[in-house]
Amino acid sequence: MTFSLSQNLIQSSLPISQGAEAKVYKAQLTSGSPPILLKYRFQKKYRHPTLDANLTRSRIAGEARALLKCLRSGVNVPGIRMVDATEGILGIQWIEGQSVRKLLPGGAEDDGADNVDSPDVEDSDPLTEYGVSVDEVMNLIGNEIAKMHRVDVIHGDLTTSNMMLRHPKSFVPFNPNVTTELVLIDFGLSYQSTLTEDKAVDLYVLERAFSSTHPDSEPMFAKVLIAYAETIGKDWVAIKNRLDDVRLRGRKRSMVG
Amino acid sequence: MLFYPVSNPAKIKQRIIDAAKSKAHEADEEREAVNFSFIDASLITSRLHLETAINQAILAESQGSLRTKTVHSEILFALNPTNNITEAIRRYGVSDTTKALCVVQIMNSSATTASISDVEIKMKKVVNGSIVSFDELAKLTDWNTVEKYHKLGNEVKEKRDAQRARAFIDNVAVSSVAMKSVMQ
Amino acid sequence: MPGKIRKTPLIEAGRDYLALGLEGSANKFGAGIMKHPKDGAATVLSNIRHTYITPPGEGFQPRDTALHHREWALKIINDCLAKAGVSMHEIDCICFTKGPGMGAPLQSVVLVARTLSLLFNKPLVGVNHCVGHIEMGREITGAQNPVVLYVSGGNTQVIAYSRQCYRIFGETLDIAVGNCLDRFARIINLSNDPSPGYNIEQEAKKGKRLLSLPYATKGMDVSLSGILSAVEAYTLDKRFHVQEGAEDKDLITPQDLCFSLQETVFAMLVEITERAMAHIGSKEVLIVGGVGSNERLQQMMGIMAQERQGQVFATDERFCIDNGIMIAQAGLLSYRMGYETPLAKSTCTQRFRTDEVHVTWRA
Repeated sequence: MTFSLSQNLIQSSLPISQGAEAKVYKAQLTSGSPPILLKYRFQKKYRHPTLDANLTRSRIAGEARALLKCLRSGVNVPGIRMVDATEGILGIQWIEGQSVRKLLPGGAEDDGADNVDSPDVEDSDPLTEYGVSVDEVMNLIGNEIAKMHRVDVIHGDLTTSNMMLRHPKSFVPFNPNVTTELVLIDFGLSYQSTLTEDKAVDLYVLERAFSSTHPDSEPMFAKVLIAYAETIGKDWVAIKNRLDDVRLRGRKRSMVG
Repeated sequence: MLFYPVSNPAKIKQRIIDAAKSKAHEADEEREAVNFSFIDASLITSRLHLETAINQAILAESQGSLRTKTVHSEILFALNPTNNITEAIRRYGVSDTTKALCVVQIMNSSATTASISDVEIKMKKVVNGSIVSFDELAKLTDWNTVEKYHKLGNEVKEKRDAQRARAFIDNVAVSSVAMKSVMQ
Repeated sequence: MPGKIRKTPLIEAGRDYLALGLEGSANKFGAGIMKHPKDGAATVLSNIRHTYITPPGEGFQPRDTALHHREWALKIINDCLAKAGVSMHEIDCICFTKGPGMGAPLQSVVLVARTLSLLFNKPLVGVNHCVGHIEMGREITGAQNPVVLYVSGGNTQVIAYSRQCYRIFGETLDIAVGNCLDRFARIINLSNDPSPGYNIEQEAKKGKRLLSLPYATKGMDVSLSGILSAVEAYTLDKRFHVQEGAEDKDLITPQDLCFSLQETVFAMLVEITERAMAHIGSKEVLIVGGVGSNERLQQMMGIMAQERQGQVFATDERFCIDNGIMIAQAGLLSYRMGYETPLAKSTCTQRFRTDEVHVTWRA
């Protein structure tokens, strides 16, 4: 056999995108089974092969563990569908929908080719298709992050690109008033921590992402925090105070030559 | 293949144990006769659940990283949320009280239709029961036991309605099987 | 040089400019004379440096380093002027390192700069050490808008230019990479001549075995102190032997440790650099700072850049390791934009972040 099983799977999959760390594909494990998303952490040739293999394995494992922990605690994340830590492949549930970034004002810009073919979308609010208002989306975001932080998972890279709304057509609502669901994705930088500091920094990263991608984001982010505070409960005061500290400090760390 | 109802679970179990115990060459034939994965269907939450376990087992075999002796027992191992092999076989394998059985044979992808029907005949020789469609699986799942094995009691209570709880348990079960190889 | 992408706001030279740069933020004292002629191309007239070398197993103390700089300053500046064939009267401005660095050595160099300024009635220009490295690297390599990996004894940063500021994308959360290597060199008693990092690199070439060390990247930041502790722990392992024994034995040699340390730490640095490149969509990398002269780091960065269809720019030890000419280059750029440091404000500081500098000379 020239290719391993997983390599064969990748060969037959549809490439979606490529980042610094991984290539993303849409695949099917068997004909007739639901589609999955493959995240392939390809080999980094600059790294020593042993180091590279260990690192890939532990990162795949870390991501899978964080996903399972979230899943078990009822946080909306994609389910895991296959793991091949040797080849560096993580297969997760395919989420039909759109990233929150593209659904919010300003988020669709400077994305180039992707949106060229749909100029008419600009006139209508893309969110109407999902049956929710901007405020409701903020509420969902705050709620989901708080659920994740309650089980001490820190996402590590919260941005509006790393959240998706399920498309109403792909979603079987248990309550007829609910048309969509917010799903947190990409746990590649996640880790476990009980520290208030880490949770506050997680929120701060999201705040920065909001302000750099979406114009006039302050009232939006304020609503995220209101929903977060409600769900997280008694820990909110400590996290809020720490968030204020982190904001003042920013990324600045004083430097010793 | 999904068999339901099954009338001879105790006998199947005994044959597997005997075949495994005897070291001599004369048992080869018997070993070959029961060379399947027998899985208690009441613990399978969906077709995807079983397929995921099979897929991970095949993957482990292809990379030489089987944790159990054969690819067939590896399926049982993959299904169990802990790393205890004896427990996996006791829980997910055939037992005296098993009523529904999933019987799986891993074959080379080049297998012909003819050899597939051979396998069916071989399976029927071992299992006394009728073959039903995989769509019946949903009716056979014992959700309470799955919930207990995955320790999901509290989380399930929050879900309130049964349909939602089942989708949740299924997703956790499938995900646990998929990430088994990198579990702590 | 490849064609300029953006128009530079730098005022045209109009005449020849000469700058003297003085650097002494760590254990090197350097002086250099930079010429910006009318036609624009910068010319290095001279670049001389003297390094304070301590015996194996010892680091350099601020007080002794300052003493070294005071002893050597005048000789080196004189040599520098002689080699360039210019007199102090022809110089347009005196550039000095304002920070960051070690307090005592910085102060002794500022004092020299201030004295020269008063003696010859020349304006002073205070320069950020890190910006000096970046500007010299850009000038020498011709890199237009690179992601900069600045790795030295005191600093570890991934930097990219954005709106007249060198933004820090990632940095070390504890000790600098050079510091980590130097301290390990001290632990295994390597010579500090010509530099501990150079000797680690030579030892690493003989290492065969990759020992497992913590790999600590956090987003675009790295943490190195845990790695230093872990590699130090190996020297207490009972398999650790300084002499090379039989090939087949389960031994850990200092060479293996140097090799493992380099492989692990450099992989982390390349990884965060790649992440920054992907983030801002740049295809160029510039490595500056003393550790940047390590060929294995350059090689790894090269492989990464090649995979991204990009390019690595690195300089040799003359410009990588702290030197006076880089201070002259960065200082002259800001001087030509009309910046001068009044005598009363010609102080130095141990803490001076790269992103605090207003980069007026770039668009």
